[in-house]
Amino acid sequence: MRRFLLPLILLALFIGESIFVQVTPHDLLGSGKIAVPRFLMAALLFLTIFGSKKHGILYGLLFGLLFDIVYVEIIGIYLFLFPVIAFITNKLMRILQTNIAMASIIVLLGISFLEAGVYQMNLLIHHTDMEFAVFLSSRLLPTLILNAIFIILAVYPFKRLSEKFADSLNE
Amino acid sequence: MPQFFLNKRLIILLVSIIILVALIGFSLKDRENLTWPEQFLKDTTGFIQNAVSSPVNYVAGFFENVEDLQNTYKENKDLKTRLDELARLESEVQRLKKDNTELREILDKKDSLSEFEPKQATVIGRNPDRWHELLIINKGKNAGIEPNMAVITSKGLIGKVKSSNTFTSTVQLLSSMDPTNRISAKIQAGENNFFGLIEGYDKEEGLLLLKRIPYDAKVEKDQNVITSGLGGVFPESLPIGKVVDVVPDEFGLTQTAYVKPGADFYDIGHVMVVKRGALQPELMEMVDEKEEEL
Repeated sequence: MRRFLLPLILLALFIGESIFVQVTPHDLLGSGKIAVPRFLMAALLFLTIFGSKKHGILYGLLFGLLFDIVYVEIIGIYLFLFPVIAFITNKLMRILQTNIAMASIIVLLGISFLEAGVYQMNLLIHHTDMEFAVFLSSRLLPTLILNAIFIILAVYPFKRLSEKFADSLNE
Repeated sequence: MPQFFLNKRLIILLVSIIILVALIGFSLKDRENLTWPEQFLKDTTGFIQNAVSSPVNYVAGFFENVEDLQNTYKENKDLKTRLDELARLESEVQRLKKDNTELREILDKKDSLSEFEPKQATVIGRNPDRWHELLIINKGKNAGIEPNMAVITSKGLIGKVKSSNTFTSTVQLLSSMDPTNRISAKIQAGENNFFGLIEGYDKEEGLLLLKRIPYDAKVEKDQNVITSGLGGVFPESLPIGKVVDVVPDEFGLTQTAYVKPGADFYDIGHVMVVKRGALQPELMEMVDEKEEEL
């Protein structure tokens, strides 16, 4: 049962992101500011840090593909970025201490990497003509504020969950 | 050099970048329909989203209703002032409608570009990253929804169907920046109509860009912008918005109008997918026979 709990929660976050955007007003953090919920990415990174690295990257691939097909209709953007960021996070955590505060900062760093990566990709395929300075102030900053709130609320439950998931794998 | 090829991780990275570029290229191609695994996945997730979104919408609707109640008094006052005007307009519309049908009968002209049949649908999902402004709605091919149909709310045009699966469809909003997202529109200026193309969206101001208006067109503020029906897919006279500002384009050959959209691109719960009454011309029919012989 415990083995399936985490994938189910990831699926709930995957659908929850879309509902969150629909229900909350678009100018949640001021007009012209776009705050993107990256709850799925945060959960995947928590899994990589506290649970199993292999499953973090694997679920990253799986949910990246699902995200691309269902929400973006361009396959490749999240399919590439989710696992790569999980991989980099894992490499970083080998050098750093695995405690809650450090993990939260690293997850926030991962989310800003994701945002910048998606921005660069969209710039490359001409789906946006936003300038980098505008991107920083109207997208990255509000996104980081929103996700920092989520991370503070979710870090402890996800730590427990990921550790239990890792235990269930070892049994 | 041999060490370079032995580095397993580097090779994995290179191969995955090649696959990534190939996949992005494949999905950016102008596709009529999605492949069946994509359609299957979209329908399956659509099923879950459908189940989740109805209770969520119910709760969200409750809070909206409470908010509405607070504004009732002011709204009522505004509406009463408009009511007198409405009676006059209504009688005029009826007279014009009757005129129109009679004249059409005389001309023996049956189909019109402005005829359409709307299909109701509910929004069950939205792209969270907001780079590509896409909505997922709960009607698909089995309800008769096809790609490229116009999508409207009660206030005006919001976009078009990008792709349709069996039970769900994806709607691309006017506000999404896609070089292939163009809509033929016209500005109603008294006796004259000025034609142009809706191309692009100014995110900061929240205004649509209506480009390629003739340089000598006298476009003024507050004139209505509607679909022209000349693009071949959309019906005529779906409202889009109002002109806010007109500027000459960079070479001075045409003008660009900034259009304030009538519909809200964010607070969307229910939409109507519009099927055009008039036949869509096939590309083959438009090719002249003589041209074919050549």
